[in-house]
Order: sequence, then structure tokens, then C-alpha cells
Amino acid sequence: MIAKASGGDSGRHLSKDEYRGLLESGFKALAGLNDIKSSVSKFLPGGTIGLKVSCLARKFNSTPVPLADALVELLIQTGISENKIIIWERTNQELESAGYALNTSAAGRKCLGTDTDGYGYSRDFYSSGPVNSLVSRILTETVDHNINLPVLKDHSIAGLSSGMKNMYGAINNPNKYHDTNCDPFVAHVSNLEPLKAKNRLSIIDAVRVQYNGGPGFDSRYLARYNGLILSDNPVAADRVALEILEHCRQQNALPSLEKAGRPAKFLKTAESIGLGTADLSKIDLKVIVKDAGGGERPGEMF
Amino acid sequence: MERRFFLRCLGCSFLASAMLQSDFFPEILGGLKSAEAYSLTKNLSSVEARYYKKLPEGGVECGICPRHCRVTDLERGYCGTRENRANVYHTLVYGLACSMNIDPIEKKPLFHFYPGTTAFSLATAGCNVNCKFCQNWDISQSRPEQTDNVDLPPKEVIAICRNQNLPTIAYTYSEPTIFYEYMYDIAELGRSNSIRSVMISNGYMETEPLKNLLPVLNAVKVDLKSIREDYYKNIVGGELKPVLDRIIQIKKSGTWLELVYLIVPTLNDTPEEFRELAGWVKTNLGTDTPLHFSRFYPQYLLKNLPPTPQKTLETAYQICRETGLEYVYLGNLPGHPAESTYCPQCGKILIERKGYRIYQNNIKGNRCYNCQRNIPGLF
Ligand code: SF4
Repeated sequence: MIAKASGGDSGRHLSKDEYRGLLESGFKALAGLNDIKSSVSKFLPGGTIGLKVSCLARKFNSTPVPLADALVELLIQTGISENKIIIWERTNQELESAGYALNTSAAGRKCLGTDTDGYGYSRDFYSSGPVNSLVSRILTETVDHNINLPVLKDHSIAGLSSGMKNMYGAINNPNKYHDTNCDPFVAHVSNLEPLKAKNRLSIIDAVRVQYNGGPGFDSRYLARYNGLILSDNPVAADRVALEILEHCRQQNALPSLEKAGRPAKFLKTAESIGLGTADLSKIDLKVIVKDAGGGERPGEMF
Repeated sequence: MERRFFLRCLGCSFLASAMLQSDFFPEILGGLKSAEAYSLTKNLSSVEARYYKKLPEGGVECGICPRHCRVTDLERGYCGTRENRANVYHTLVYGLACSMNIDPIEKKPLFHFYPGTTAFSLATAGCNVNCKFCQNWDISQSRPEQTDNVDLPPKEVIAICRNQNLPTIAYTYSEPTIFYEYMYDIAELGRSNSIRSVMISNGYMETEPLKNLLPVLNAVKVDLKSIREDYYKNIVGGELKPVLDRIIQIKKSGTWLELVYLIVPTLNDTPEEFRELAGWVKTNLGTDTPLHFSRFYPQYLLKNLPPTPQKTLETAYQICRETGLEYVYLGNLPGHPAESTYCPQCGKILIERKGYRIYQNNIKGNRCYNCQRNIPGLF
């Protein structure tokens, strides 16, 4: 489902409160329930919750801190102890460069990279297809349920950088998996046993979409979509994200990713190995528009 | 300077790393302090890479190895050690050694290169292939921020060699191609300090960087992992053709060359492959190029395979000798007669080896002590 904020200028991120509103509407619509607590616990039944953010592009185009803060607040409100929430990424340096305050202490939500002392990567390899990788111990040993919390952007090789591509930040050797438009690698990374077992939700920030020149930041190619994509189906979430990215490209007179030589081939591969739905016509897509006053109404994707 | 730490001991410069070890020269290493005792930096180098070009559409293309990675801002090449930062390509491992050791030169293996001497051996994280049998995967398949690194600029490497009377530096363990700039600068400095350099490589490098590197090297050992393209594609994650071309390039340059072929049961162990290999070496490099067959032990992603049977190694040896190759060796079979060097003319034992130890060396001025036949190499 997509939760969109109405209005908004083209430059700024949303505030924490605006994100919070979108998250609440999104969770309830996704769960098909009216109560936020039951909606959240439908997907996150207790335990330690991980929020895998994307911080490669530093403060310019990483998972916004207000989004992560809003999600943490929401989880706490629904009964999850703050001590049981971990915002995580590949390295502490990446987190800090994106504006996150590290916290490795036992009190409060944790915020840390896999390179934090005592974490690191799994001892054993996990394999799927051509992928053989060690997986962050934050995911394998600490987190019970994970929320994939990336930003939507163009990727110079994979075409689409969104939920599944963000999971490259959970393994030790992502540089090995960029040939042939990252296909079939992106799909098989998400199919690694701990990732498949623990990734419960994709929440993709599509508020400000960099539709070309990614994954690094390029201010020439920013469009405003103003929405969050929420799904428990990682492939469907990415497929919807792709639609938005392609729309932004079209609006700005750029060729499709296919024509640009970087089709997001990994979506079909992911579907073929049973990770989810890549066919847009089979995705039951709900769109909710959240007004500035707090009201909400059904909306259109574009 | 805060990233640097130089370990000082008894007035000499020393270093150590998490992997520093030697059961061969404990007396030399005994004075070193483990770097684990120090707080190791995770910071990486940001030295501009060599052999890359900026692409008109944005991004850079690396020209160090045949992969020619095209890398956009903030991304890294396949080896994980080179990063594009605002369209300037950087090596992240310059001066950052993650593994160091003092090894006998026989361990490289180089059998015709100053036998019985030692080499200060070093590596950084990273590799441009991903062999399923890699013995050093914990460093070769890691990104530099995942290894414990010691800040060791070229002049410190040379200082260690001078202070410890180590005649040779070996770039080894991972793939030196990916730390080309670091290797080159050490080797160049070494040359002006009469310290030799040897590269222990997979040979998967581009022509031009290799051409410019060879004058500062004294020897190269190449792991020719198979004579079949599909093995390179499926087991190594690279290509055979550029490796064969580079081996010929090294031979033609006059830099001393030895080859190693690791025999992996069921994957590259047929007599036909040994025959093809021997024929290729004979035709392209000559019969006097040393060829080492090495025994596989289950490692990394090939733990399901058994060690190479001795008989398979002996078959390979036999075939190569019958083809006319004069210096064929078997490795990882301590005590086997095929560890030693024999005169191809009179059959006398020239260098007797057991494991990495030399028990006798009867080569006098590059000649067999008995029949005076010329023996190739640097003795
Ligand atoms: S050296 Fe590394 S970055 Fe350069 S082409 Fe080879 S694998 Fe790619």
C-alpha cells in the first residue's frame, strides 16, 4: 500500500510528525484494521525489532532520521520496549554521516553498524543461488523481526535501489554482486535464510525520489512523490517502487530503465524463487492520501 | 597522523597484525608485539587510484584488471577496495596491511629464486576473483573495513626489511593486483634500497599496469588455476584468457616466473587437462619454466570435496615430465621426492627440500655441480 502526504514543496523531507501520520495510516490500511496497536503487532509480534536503514548516500539521500524516529515512536506507542529496537546499517560511519546518533548502550533504542565491537558478521556462510555471504550478526543473532527501511532511488547498475537492494547492506561482500544489473544477485541476497526469515515489512521512503544518477546523491534528478510504500511482500513493494521511479523518469523526459540499459531484472528473478509478486496487475494496491489536517482519503498512485 | 601507529621495539621499527605468525622464524618474530594489543583503526586510505578513467556519462572505469568495473559515486569495484568519491577513484587499502609474516621463499612457492632465503610477506584485504577453494578467504573476500589493518606506509615496510635483514618482500595471501599502487610504491622504494620484490598473483591484471610494474619486480608466481575457461567462470569467478596472456607477458619480460596449479578433485584433475596444461606451458613458456602442482584441502565453499589424492598429483607430475617440462614439483606433500630439484641432464639432486626446508643446495653459479648444465632461475 502507499500512504501519501498531500501537498509539500519539492525540496524538504517530511517532518517526524508527518511521517508518523503516514506510518499510522499505512499500518492500519495494510493490516486492514482500525487499531494501530493490533495493526503493528500483526506484522511484528514482539521480540527485538530491527530497522535496516540505508545510509550510503549520507545525509543527502539516506533514510531520513525523522522517518526512523517516527517509526520508533510508533513502535513504542504500540507496546514495544524502546530497548528492543535497533536501527542498524553496515557501518557506524555510514549511520553518523546520514545524521543518526549512535547508541550502543543498553538503555534506549540502539543505533549501530555491523562493525560495532561484538557484532560483525556470522561465522558461517549463507547461500542462495550464486550468492555466498556472511550476514550481519545484528540480523542473525540480535533481531527477531526486521523492517527494511530504505529510500527509493535510481541505481546505476541495478536500475532500482529500494527494499531488496538495501539488503546488500546486511552482507559482508556486496561488491561481488553487481554484475549483470545485479541479477540474479539481489533476489538471492533477499533469499538468504536469515533475511527471508526475519524481514517482515518493507517501508520504502518515496517522499523525495532521485530518479536518475543514483545511488549517490545528484540534486539535478529529484522529484517529489510524497509517499511511503508499505508491504509485507518485499517483491511487490519493490515493484510498486519501480513504477514510481519509472513515472518520475517519464515525467522528466528520461528513457525507461530498460532503455537506459539497467532494467530491474531482479524483480522477476525474485518472483521466480518465491519471494513475492513482481506482476503489478496481481498486486492489490491501496493508496491513501493524508491531508495536512490529519484526515485521510483514498487516492490514486499518480 | 592520528591514523598511524608505528610499533617501536628496541630502536627498530616493527609491526604486527592480527595474523602475524611464524612457526618458522620464531626467533625473529619473538620481539614483535601483537597489534591486537593496540587499538586498530578502521579508517581507510584515500589515495587516488591509478589506471582509471572518468566516463562521459558519469562514474569511472577501473583499468587495473580485466573486470573494468564501472563504478558510480560512492560505490566500489568488485574487489571492494576501490571507491568512487565524486568521480575520483580511490584505493582504500594503500598502506593498510591486514596480514604480515616472515616466510621462507619456498612457501610462495618460488623454488628457483634465492632458495633458503626469507620474504617479508604482506597483504591487504580484497581480491578481484572469488575462488571457491580460497585458503585466505577471510581477508581476500573481505572489504578493508572488515579486517584489522596496520598502518604501514611503504617506507616503513622498507625499514622493517632493512632492520631485520629481510632480502625480499612478497605481495601475497590476497591478490596484490587490487593493492597495485601500494605494491608498486613499496617495490620501487625497495629497488633503490636493494630489497627485492616478488608478486604472488592470480595473473588477472591488465596489460598496461603489469607492463609498468614488472621492472620493479624480481619474480612473479602465477596461480594458473585451470586450463579451461569454464572452470575460471564457475569456480574462480574470472576469465582464463587474460591470465594466459599475462603469463606470456611476464615470461617475455624476463622477470623470473613460476606457475602453480592447484588440483581440485573432480573439478580440474583429469589427465587430459594435465596434458593440455603441459602442452601450453611447453609451447608458450618453454620447458624450463617451473610448474608446481599443489594439493587441495577442503576450504571455504568447497568443504564437500576430499583432499587431492597423492596419486592424482603423481599422474600430473608424470604427464608433465613426459611432455618435456624439466622442473615439475608437487606441493603440500611434505617429504615427497618431487619437492626437490633435479638436474634435467644428469639426474643428480640439485636442491633437496622437505616441506619448506632446504637440506642441500648443489647449484653453483646457476650450474649443476655435476654436469655443469645451466639451471634457470636466480640462485
Ligand atoms: S581492480 Fe577491483 S575495481 Fe579495478 S577492475 Fe579489478 S575488481 Fe574492478
